[in-house]
Amino acid sequence: MSHQTKRILLLEPDSVLAGSLTAGLINAGYDVQHVYSAQAAVSSADRLKPDLVFCELQLTAHSGIEFLYEFRSYSDWSVIPVVIYSSVPPVEFNASRNGLTYDLKISGYLYKPDTTLAEVIDWANKLT
Amino acid sequence: MSSPIPGSTLSQQLLLSVAEQLKLPLIQIARQAELAAVGMTADLTQICTLAENGLKLIDGYSLGLQLANLSNYELAPEAVSVASVLYEADEQLKALARLYNVELELNISGRYEPVLAHRQGLQAAIVGLASALIEALPAQASVTSQTMLQLATHRCRYGIVAGVYANLPSLSSEALRSGRRLYGRSRQPLVEISHTGGAGIFVADAIFKAMKLKLHVSRHHRLYGLGVVLQPSSQLALV
Repeated sequence: MSHQTKRILLLEPDSVLAGSLTAGLINAGYDVQHVYSAQAAVSSADRLKPDLVFCELQLTAHSGIEFLYEFRSYSDWSVIPVVIYSSVPPVEFNASRNGLTYDLKISGYLYKPDTTLAEVIDWANKLT
Repeated sequence: MSSPIPGSTLSQQLLLSVAEQLKLPLIQIARQAELAAVGMTADLTQICTLAENGLKLIDGYSLGLQLANLSNYELAPEAVSVASVLYEADEQLKALARLYNVELELNISGRYEPVLAHRQGLQAAIVGLASALIEALPAQASVTSQTMLQLATHRCRYGIVAGVYANLPSLSSEALRSGRRLYGRSRQPLVEISHTGGAGIFVADAIFKAMKLKLHVSRHHRLYGLGVVLQPSSQLALV
């Protein structure tokens, strides 16, 4: 059986954290494209055609929410699973959770301080 | 018993900002250490650098508290060479800059007289400013060339400036003013500049305030930065 490497788009503004996540996900068998900004994420998604997106909400200039509205506006990308992996704590995220889950079809939310690398990989395994 | 800490200088907002900022190095360390758990090698040098960065932020905050609590007499400034302060700061920042792939430049070629300042406070503030910008620079969408941060001193009409500079056009006086209003209340008080809370900048702001100085947005050699104007030591100028 042929096995095609699944592609992950990682939108993460911190280069050090992105390095650890990228290394862990590559080690788990994924092809990872890391980008820092919302604009770069849109361009990369076009080229990469990801199977999964991990997205931080707190970015410089345009936020992760702005990226997601743009991302979901294209029919090709409307069903690609997106997991929020963010420093925004649950109490703040939950305030807008329903809107995000239904309007932007968010598959999951992971709070960075509470989420291990193994859990990130588990989510990738579950959604790809 | 020591007198109460002036609330306007080192407020609860600053403590919140520092606490929030410290999550970043702790998460970075945790994820890096976890690589070993998934069968990879954790980079111990990186872990060490990240821990030291977090400790410097705590030290800067503590120093700001101490300086704010000193009387004018106790705070007596000394004659300080800005070049030597920037050199020391550069040494402290090298590992962090390397980790973030930021080229750190030291521009201390001008021969300026010593200034009046609290040396330790000035150095901690410069390190705080630079650390915050080092973390923020790689994510700047507008930065296309090699990311660079310059520690520089130059003369202006009001005195001698010590500051940190980068190719960061979004670093404006309005952005700093807005950040001062929002820090501790907003998760990203400097949203056009940093994805973090930028606590190092506000700790530096508080340290300068305790030293009766003011952090300004500053330009130098087509770069945008944050700096403080220092007064030359007239005592040594007579020598």
